[in-house]
Amino acid sequence: MSENRFAHLLLAPAGLWLALLFAVPLGIVVAVSLGTTDPIYQAVYGWHPENYADVFDPLFTPVLLRSVGFALATVVLCLLIGYPIAYYIARFGGRWKTLLIALVVLPFLVNYLVRTYAWVAILSDEGLVNGIVTDAGLSENGVRFLNTPWAVIGGLVYGYLAFMILPLYAALDRMDPALIEAGKDLYGSRWQTFWHVTWPAAFQGVAAGCVLVFLPAVGDFISAQLLGGADTYMVGNLIQQQFLEAANWPFGAALTIVMMAFLLIWLSIYLRSAARASREATA
Amino acid sequence: MIEPKVDGDLYYFNYSQYINPGLVKEFEKKYDVRVIQSYFDAMEPMLAKLRAGNTYDVIFPTAEYVQRLIQQEQILRIPRDKLENLDNIYSYFDDPWYDPDSAHSVPYSLYITGIGYRADVIDNMTGSWNDLGNEEAAGRIYMLDDYQEALAAGNLLHGFDMNTVVESELEQTKEWLIGLKPLLRGYSVDTITNMSSGNAWIEHLWNGDIINIRYRVDDPDTIQFQKCSEGFPVGSDAFCIPVNAEHPGTALKFIDFMCDPKNAARNVNWNGYPMPNRGQDQTFADLAKDDPNIVVTIDDLEGGDQFANLPQEDRELWTNTFLEVKAS
Repeated sequence: MSENRFAHLLLAPAGLWLALLFAVPLGIVVAVSLGTTDPIYQAVYGWHPENYADVFDPLFTPVLLRSVGFALATVVLCLLIGYPIAYYIARFGGRWKTLLIALVVLPFLVNYLVRTYAWVAILSDEGLVNGIVTDAGLSENGVRFLNTPWAVIGGLVYGYLAFMILPLYAALDRMDPALIEAGKDLYGSRWQTFWHVTWPAAFQGVAAGCVLVFLPAVGDFISAQLLGGADTYMVGNLIQQQFLEAANWPFGAALTIVMMAFLLIWLSIYLRSAARASREATA
Repeated sequence: MIEPKVDGDLYYFNYSQYINPGLVKEFEKKYDVRVIQSYFDAMEPMLAKLRAGNTYDVIFPTAEYVQRLIQQEQILRIPRDKLENLDNIYSYFDDPWYDPDSAHSVPYSLYITGIGYRADVIDNMTGSWNDLGNEEAAGRIYMLDDYQEALAAGNLLHGFDMNTVVESELEQTKEWLIGLKPLLRGYSVDTITNMSSGNAWIEHLWNGDIINIRYRVDDPDTIQFQKCSEGFPVGSDAFCIPVNAEHPGTALKFIDFMCDPKNAARNVNWNGYPMPNRGQDQTFADLAKDDPNIVVTIDDLEGGDQFANLPQEDRELWTNTFLEVKAS
């Protein structure tokens, strides 16, 4: 057996895994998206491309814009919160680095749904935070945190922050600290050194973090479902609603496919820029 | 014909928190079976999961869905004469509108939809569905996240047939629902949590949840229920056995067990919804002694508005109308 054939054989388990658990289910979703339902909600396969036309009904425009807006706000907040954390761990973590990264990851071992429910308890009108707020005399009747767009964005930031911190940490940790010293030796101010040295050196981490946060955030439904109100309906809620309440699996599947295509565009832009960056780095 | 004898573990599919868990444990012990519970929070996902090939031995559809399941030949006939405890069931259910001769279902619970409110902070309820837009409770009002219930409230308020499929009427109901949105805190079926946590002052809900909210708050008298003057949805749900059930014998045993008068009383005391079973009459009367509004009478069932089994295209019109409200 040639070495090449052997290498291909190594791919077999992963290939089988992907075929069975990704390609086949995706194929079923595509097939359902072109179908219709019988009177008691069984999806019936068929040829109904109009399901896709319905996706672009102007009715859903506010839902799509809201989802993208919430996801972008989440990305910006994750970057603002995550960058200093990643920077600190990478530059000053020393022998605690592994522990600190483990602490970042630890909450993510608990199911996202459960963690979001915890926020419901913490932020409710008569919950922990409002108890402190009223006891401290900051507000007589407490503050309404829950069921607002801010609560939804907060839930998304909390849910996906680690996806920002980890790639940022990896990029910053790889960076040679001598570069920063060189910047200072050349009389760069702290800000100039950061902007001209650190930021470009770790930019691939920023890009990866932004994409990794944006993609799940834009399709999320749990945060809006549990922390949102009447005006926080996101595309994830719309898809969930089609699968559950409306029991219209074909339309839900069509929405899913269009959503995946939309996300794939962003993913491919990112992957191409990452590939170019790595070519330039090795050139 | 199926027989009431244990033929395996019971695969049970119901709303969550809708049956006394102590009775389920007792059933397991008595018949030496396990009850494997799954939950749904609305009829459509229940049917979609059932039709996607999952097998359950006992399901709990509402009346209009029982009719639809019979039409589509999805549930088994119940051998009524082989069950011991059906004599306790109200005679209204001998031949209900949705199931001739009760051949395919045994009634489980009765409900009325209305408005729950906090009497300690709200003093201007008017008895109308318009109270869902009470400015004094702005930001503390929840509507049921349920397309049937949301549209029914609007249709009744406007004096339309509750089950209307006239597009111009549904349009008016839709505009009313959209107009409420700035005052709403959200759409939710988690009514017990919303009210007992203090987040809701006005809550669109089902009568039985009132009892459970009272169980959870410091001062139960502050939790009141309003039956709206323009009319209100009233209905029932039922035990049914799907055609693909693998253990229909155990399912029959379970139905009979739940209809035992003593067990019915214990179940009602736990979940707060009246059962059409004479064994629970005194227990429910005690629960409702200060609040006749949560009682569901046979007059309510006969004269009130029950959800109709709408044809598929009309049902889509309803779900799409509510979707437009939520997406706007």
